[in-house]
Amino acid sequence: MTTTVIDGRELQPPEPMERTLEALDTLAEGDDVLLLLYCQPHPLFSILKKNGYAWGEEVRADGTREIRIHKLPG
Amino acid sequence: MHASLSFDQAPPISVPYRFFLVAPWFGATAGILLVWAGADALGSRWTPEALALTHLIALGFMLQAMCGALFQFIPVAVGGNVWRPRLVANTVQPLLLLATLLLVAGLLFGRPVLLSAAVPLFLLAIGGFVTVVALALWQTPATGMTLWAMRMAIAGLAITVLLGSLLAEALAHGFAVPIVDLTNVHLGWGLGGWALMLLAGVSYHVVPMFQLTRPYPSWFTRSFGLLLLGFLLAWSSRLLLDDALWSPLIAYPLLLILSAYAGTTLWLQYTRRRKIHDATSLYFRVAMLSMLAFAVSGTVYFLRPELGADPRFVVWLGVLALVGVFVSAITGMMYKIVPFLNWLHLQRLGAPISAVPNMKKMIPADAMTGQLRLHVLAVLMLLTAVWQPGLIRPAGLALAASFVWLGCNLAGAVRRYQGFRDQIRAAA
Ligand code: HEM
Repeated sequence: MTTTVIDGRELQPPEPMERTLEALDTLAEGDDVLLLLYCQPHPLFSILKKNGYAWGEEVRADGTREIRIHKLPG
Repeated sequence: MHASLSFDQAPPISVPYRFFLVAPWFGATAGILLVWAGADALGSRWTPEALALTHLIALGFMLQAMCGALFQFIPVAVGGNVWRPRLVANTVQPLLLLATLLLVAGLLFGRPVLLSAAVPLFLLAIGGFVTVVALALWQTPATGMTLWAMRMAIAGLAITVLLGSLLAEALAHGFAVPIVDLTNVHLGWGLGGWALMLLAGVSYHVVPMFQLTRPYPSWFTRSFGLLLLGFLLAWSSRLLLDDALWSPLIAYPLLLILSAYAGTTLWLQYTRRRKIHDATSLYFRVAMLSMLAFAVSGTVYFLRPELGADPRFVVWLGVLALVGVFVSAITGMMYKIVPFLNWLHLQRLGAPISAVPNMKKMIPADAMTGQLRLHVLAVLMLLTAVWQPGLIRPAGLALAASFVWLGCNLAGAVRRYQGFRDQIRAAA
């Protein structure tokens, strides 16, 4: 299992979303994408929901959100 | 595979754009009004011209732009669903436009009929808007201080419009109400409870995101909105409590929290790791410096009553708040929102990412920074013109020109969107 890390904290929108969508294009079953941001990317969430991805969120003490995305089986 | 990704039902791009495309022309009208009125326009806050100008900016520019932005911001930032956005926007926006013209004409020419005609239109337009937005804001599962600030702001808008309507009817029919106190409470809710509350709430979200700063400290976001609300409630008590000491007692801490917001934002900009100096960052800096200048001037106003006795002093405060703070911050925000929406909606057409042009191609950077410089010049000229009435006409001209430029920049972005959209469709 491999994790692709995308640190979006120092990128200007929409770069974090572009990179995430690009990474999802090549995501293999069982792998995941870890996106780091300071905000909740609602537009990305709605794309994920509609396209069969699941994600989990954790907030670090410095306000960074760790958003871990993987493909749902099937 | 990206081409198959489906995008959420965010409102159609025409919803925010119908507000954004109109807003700058109200600002341009304000500039032209200054040119037309000339030297006497800013002699005191109570001249018909000053009252008309206030609402050309506050309702024509600010409220139009902020309503348009909310339709888009609510789904994108707090995951809320606005009920039938296209229908609501198509109704609210023209009503608001008409109501603003009637109110401004009524204030300018002193026509009671026009004032009375504006009131039901405002109640309908803003009543509908507030209801729909409040439902979206209370139904979203999201949490956080941006959401809370937006909830308080929308309540602030409702209070402002109710008080404004009462004032307009009082002027039209000569009701015996304490006009000055009511006006001061109305403007407190309009500028503080609505505009500043919304600006702060939106800043918590967009300043870190678009300007690549660290997040606002959580002690700040947790306390700012509540303190602002508390001071506004206390400020409103002037309607009941008739005590000359009361005003400064509320005003000082209020000015202090304004400075805290402006100072925090400037500090976040200053300490960010990756420095970007795009038009949005610079516009925010202008807005926050204006807010600090407002806080310092406001303190002087209460500390040195002999200076505050000059009726032009309050006009100076008004120019700082309306043109220095809010026009700057809102313009800066539009310069990010519009390119971002262009990009997002082009994505939604289902083209591969590489086919969608970069956000930077939507409005040329030079056009934005050029317009910013002209705006700053207009603010400085207006501030000088408060004390040197001979400068009012040139200042009005500069203001009109900067809004016309803004209008052209936004219209150009929409044309570019249409061009790219047609290219993508043709290629598909
Ligand atoms: C929502 C944003 C609004 C803001 C930010 C706002 C702001 C202000 C400000 C700053 C003043 C004081 C002007 C001065 O002292 O020169 C004022 C006065 C006034 N506003 Fe508004 N306003 C808003 C909406 C409205 C609406 C919707 C109405 C009418 C329905 C209205 C009617 C009035 C009237 C009649 C006065 C006082 C005129 C007088 O006392 O002679 N305002 N407003």
